[in-house]
Amino acid sequence: MPVIEYKCPNCGSGMVFDSATGMLSCPSCGRKDNIEQIPDPLKQQDFSEDNTQEYHCTSCGAVILTDPETSATTCSFCGSAVVLSDRLTGKLAPAMVIPFAVSKEEAVKAFKKWCRNGLLTPSGFMSADRIKGITGMYVPFWLYELHNHVEVHGHATKVRMYTSGDYEYTETQHFDIYRKIRLNYVKVPIDASEKMNDGLMDKLEPFPYERLKEFKSPYLAGYNAEKYSYDDEALFPRAKDKIREFIEAYIASTVSGYTAVSYTDKQIDTESKQADYCLLPVWMVHYDFRKSNYAFAMNGQTGKVVGKPPISKAKVAAWFAGIFGVSFLSLKLISWMMGGGFL
Amino acid sequence: MKRHRSVWSLLTILMIFTAYLVFPFQMAHAANDNQLIYDEAGLLSQEDKSELNAMAHEYGAKRETDIIIFTSDNPEGRDVQEMTEDFYDEQAPGYDKAHGNAVILTLDLYHRDIYLAGFYKAKQYLDDGRLDKIREKITPDLTDGDYKLAFEKYIKTTYKYMGYKPDVNPDNIFFNIWFQLGGAVVIGGIVVGIMAYRSGGRVTVSGRTYEDASTSGVLDHQDRYIRTTTTKRKIEKNTGSGSGGGGTTKGGHSHSGSRGSF
Ligand SMILES: [Zn+2]
Ligand SMILES: [Zn+2]
Repeated sequence: MPVIEYKCPNCGSGMVFDSATGMLSCPSCGRKDNIEQIPDPLKQQDFSEDNTQEYHCTSCGAVILTDPETSATTCSFCGSAVVLSDRLTGKLAPAMVIPFAVSKEEAVKAFKKWCRNGLLTPSGFMSADRIKGITGMYVPFWLYELHNHVEVHGHATKVRMYTSGDYEYTETQHFDIYRKIRLNYVKVPIDASEKMNDGLMDKLEPFPYERLKEFKSPYLAGYNAEKYSYDDEALFPRAKDKIREFIEAYIASTVSGYTAVSYTDKQIDTESKQADYCLLPVWMVHYDFRKSNYAFAMNGQTGKVVGKPPISKAKVAAWFAGIFGVSFLSLKLISWMMGGGFL
Repeated sequence: MKRHRSVWSLLTILMIFTAYLVFPFQMAHAANDNQLIYDEAGLLSQEDKSELNAMAHEYGAKRETDIIIFTSDNPEGRDVQEMTEDFYDEQAPGYDKAHGNAVILTLDLYHRDIYLAGFYKAKQYLDDGRLDKIREKITPDLTDGDYKLAFEKYIKTTYKYMGYKPDVNPDNIFFNIWFQLGGAVVIGGIVVGIMAYRSGGRVTVSGRTYEDASTSGVLDHQDRYIRTTTTKRKIEKNTGSGSGGGGTTKGGHSHSGSRGSF
């Protein structure tokens, strides 16, 4: 049966990943195991392709109810951490993982703080006492290594103006420009989960890639995890699209000192050198406010929160009035300093 | 005791404030009987004349300047600037004293010429350039024969321009109340818009985040000079149509001026 649990060798309780120490720890007896040193039960398991439709909890025997994408969860009956190994092996085996560094309690605290800091959110929302659920989720990402060969041709001008006698002269120097650039990007993340909002995931970046670890299943113990819905080839266009603006900015930075530049030909060849399947830590916060559901995501390493909070019309109006007043007075003051009347 | 004192001080402040508001108008009233509209050509009805006279008093008092209108059929065919200067010498107008602060608009119906002159404070605040602007503003209405409208514009613009320090452009966009209000609305809208947009978090990565600097770079580049093109444009000299500028009257009063036709 492709279900893995992490039983404590001392007391037999289910062990979970501890974000504070980065170790597999037993909540009952306090035993801590260094994940990088213990053997991963995922590797030992020699299971045949049996295409199981049902997973059973090894602790209580109950059927584990999961979405087709879920690869790690907790048993809804006994609460044991379970990992569905057939969804983490073969083509679905993650290469790397960034474990959680923010614990559930810290996540709740950070979320409340973020709510309080919202300048436009209704005051009822700011108390953040309606958290419906908070879930630690390893979201599947592809980390691309993208090599770009860029060649651009263009026309650039330098404009100089001067006056001589009764005439104003505009002198324009024309140049033909050419740039050949090699531009390599590494670890460009694209979220591979169908459920996750792409825009939301993009805002969660950056993740600290120096904390990437070789994937081992105990990191998932106690958390939810999903397998990818799209493979790296399917998401390559999105990755290309994502770095397009980076490339444009780079090209522009190599063409400086001109008044205006127009490109006549721009060739960008992007090659995917490598795409690593990774799991990145995200806290999903579900929040009820005035009968509506709001979903927020928090970077499980940095604590950065993203998601659209409700906007209070009254606060918008108040801020607008305040800024309008200050701007109006400032413009009046400018006018007065320039010699205009104050009234 | 303490409470009484604060009530008294409040009343005193209110009285000073009221006096401040009322006093200038009283001064304007006191001066109301002297004539500012000399319509010798008979372009205005009696009613319009007294209306304009009151208006000239009200606006002129705030700038401590007599705002004068002088029209003439000019049967002798005299020069309009000379007419204006002689008018000033003979009538001795002035808000503060005889031969004092005054601005004069003279219409010569014989040559259909127009002249604007500023004396003393009005000379300082209404230089040739500002008088040119006023003249350009009212000339179309004068040409159309809409004298009353032109004279109203003259009084109001004179009042407005004298509210700005000398030597600044009175039509500067920053002095415009609608520009100030509109600008404040735009700033407020943009700032609140950005706040709302950012409330959901924002992208904080750039190309630098993922760039592999050790293997990236410009491999080849060329900036080839092709040619230079030059265009020239004649600089517009600020010479208004038929502008004569100021001068000095026979009586020795120097003034700014602007001259034109309608
Ligand atoms: Zn234990
Ligand atoms: Zn169970």
